[in-house]
Amino acid sequence: MTEDKNGETLKEFDPLNRLEPSTNGNSNTDVVSMKDDADTQAAEETNANIFAQDTGDEEPFYDFQLFVKQLQSPEADPLVKYTKSFLRNFLAQRLLWTVSEEIKLINNFKSFIYDKFTLYEPFKSLDSSKTRNAQEGIEKLIMGKLYFRCFSPSLYESLQVSLDDEHMKDLNYDDTLLEKIEHYRFIKPVMLDIPETMPHAKLNKFVHLASTELSKINRFKSPRDKMVCVLNASKVIFGLLKHTKLEQNGADTFIPILIYCILKGQVRYLVSNVNYIERFRSSDFIRGEEEYYLSSLQAAINFIMNLTESSLTIENHKCFEEEYQNNSKQVAKEREEEEKKRKLEVPDELQSNGTLLKPLDEVTNIVISKFSELFSPIGEPTQEETLEPEQSKKEEDVTFLIKKIEENERKDTLETLQNMFPDMDPSLIEDVCIAKKSRIGPCVDALLSLSE
Amino acid sequence: MLQFKLVLLGDSSVGKSSIVHRFVKDTFDELRESTIGAAFLSQSITIHPNDGGEVKDVIIKFEIWDTAGQERYKSLAPMYYRNANAALVVYDITQEDSLQKARNWVDELKNKVGDDDLVIYLLGNKVDLCQESASTEPSPESNKGEDDEQKVRVISTEEAKQYAQEQGLLFREVSAKTGEGVKEIFQDIGEKLYDSKKDEILSKQNRQINGSNNGQVDIHLQRPSTNDPTSCCS
Repeated sequence: MTEDKNGETLKEFDPLNRLEPSTNGNSNTDVVSMKDDADTQAAEETNANIFAQDTGDEEPFYDFQLFVKQLQSPEADPLVKYTKSFLRNFLAQRLLWTVSEEIKLINNFKSFIYDKFTLYEPFKSLDSSKTRNAQEGIEKLIMGKLYFRCFSPSLYESLQVSLDDEHMKDLNYDDTLLEKIEHYRFIKPVMLDIPETMPHAKLNKFVHLASTELSKINRFKSPRDKMVCVLNASKVIFGLLKHTKLEQNGADTFIPILIYCILKGQVRYLVSNVNYIERFRSSDFIRGEEEYYLSSLQAAINFIMNLTESSLTIENHKCFEEEYQNNSKQVAKEREEEEKKRKLEVPDELQSNGTLLKPLDEVTNIVISKFSELFSPIGEPTQEETLEPEQSKKEEDVTFLIKKIEENERKDTLETLQNMFPDMDPSLIEDVCIAKKSRIGPCVDALLSLSE
Repeated sequence: MLQFKLVLLGDSSVGKSSIVHRFVKDTFDELRESTIGAAFLSQSITIHPNDGGEVKDVIIKFEIWDTAGQERYKSLAPMYYRNANAALVVYDITQEDSLQKARNWVDELKNKVGDDDLVIYLLGNKVDLCQESASTEPSPESNKGEDDEQKVRVISTEEAKQYAQEQGLLFREVSAKTGEGVKEIFQDIGEKLYDSKKDEILSKQNRQINGSNNGQVDIHLQRPSTNDPTSCCS
């Protein structure tokens, strides 16, 4: 932990220096001093066991808490240092990186650190699924720290200056999409070719559930967690297709319903979110089903961005025109009111004690932020002395908080599932919830196969 | 294990999704991982290529991407067929205009993907509907109606076959309902793709085996992703 050793580590790892000099002119070569690595003294063992996650049969192994624990072992110290120095450099060298610079820096760092996994215990001797978990862990860790610099709406909110073209484009597209959604939110399912045989009440219920899942995308910072929201929303739509015996229609029905969900759900920053996932989720991880549903979401967004009257099935054009005008007036009125109290929603872990999609992800976020000394990009040595007493107190708070959040989450999942499967015995649903650790995706899968 | 991406194209009433549902269910095997989702399916098969006298087993995993067939969603298709290794272009042998629509898809694939390695498979679906109807007189009314009804073939095997030959496509008539010809589609594609990628596969395997002592070899043969960060909504 000496200055020398730091110097050496940093020489070895210099993704930032690999970047071509930028014409952006915003560069600040005055790299923040590296003195504060002393605080790598690992945060004490967090009570990892309470988060231990069932590996599940359907999903790849994922346990962020395990990764954090591994990272805290003394042998992994160099990895912590690399990560810290990367984060520090990223945040300090410039306030504003262009999108392509961000992607390059983050990818370079990821491949650098993934490489280093092969050198240090405990990562060195992990099997392939645990190694993948560690790679996921790194991604979640660094993107959690860099979120406010990489997610376009947050970046804009925190800097309040005009951004580079690519980030700006995200914001403009978000606005365009929102505008389109508002102007076409009144349309009927049949206008999108959703089969008329689908009972409206059922459709509306599932569409509401799916867009609720999708809207959770703004609560999470890590690309993986955002991706899970997209997958869960897609699963709910699949549930609807199964319920109505239309699953063999495949994309012919899935895509229109997805579009309908977006129009009804009015989720903010969808374009920014999708682009963020595509940019910062390792492309090795966006495979198969993930890739399909992400592309479908992009396709649905594209459709809405280009939506005009002629892209819809309309029987009575005069009637449609009238509805369109009425809705537009309504939108204008709402806009006016909104203008007065317009504030950016950013994910705030501490506030979301309501409904949680994957409590464990959220919970680990809290743990990381509470014990952030270990990963704090810019250390605060003054807090160092009081670290230990502070910490045990924090630990109690965290445990309490986690319990509360988990409890709320369980209730919420149960309620959602009972809504989705009203004909099913509630106690059966509860059993499935317990067996599947209240994770909505696996729960829906299990209940669907039971209801067949 | 080799992994290939396959995209499904065709008008909305031709039953393209049913073909892959049939395939995934018929080849269901507890030992193999398969996925049946809303519009994404995956399934593995084994092919037995003969490489220089030596027959071996090669496992091939297909990731199958369904697309919305309605005319209004046609413009979304490029998001689905990018990086595909194979395309199933489906028409309905009892629907006059569905072959023309299939032809349009073939043209689009040839123009937009511009990859000689892309395997295009032309599939005439619903042979079950008119297997015994060869002798009955074609009447226009019988074209409409429910699936169970006898319908009349309006697209001859010869016409479609000739078109496929001209265009260098694989061709087969199938029934998603009875399963006739369905497994064969995927065997054909697997063999064809294996054949065209053989050299690439073998050199990759050698490299991987030499590079690591890890015996498990997974190869993704999707073409390098052209996912451009701004591709959404551009």
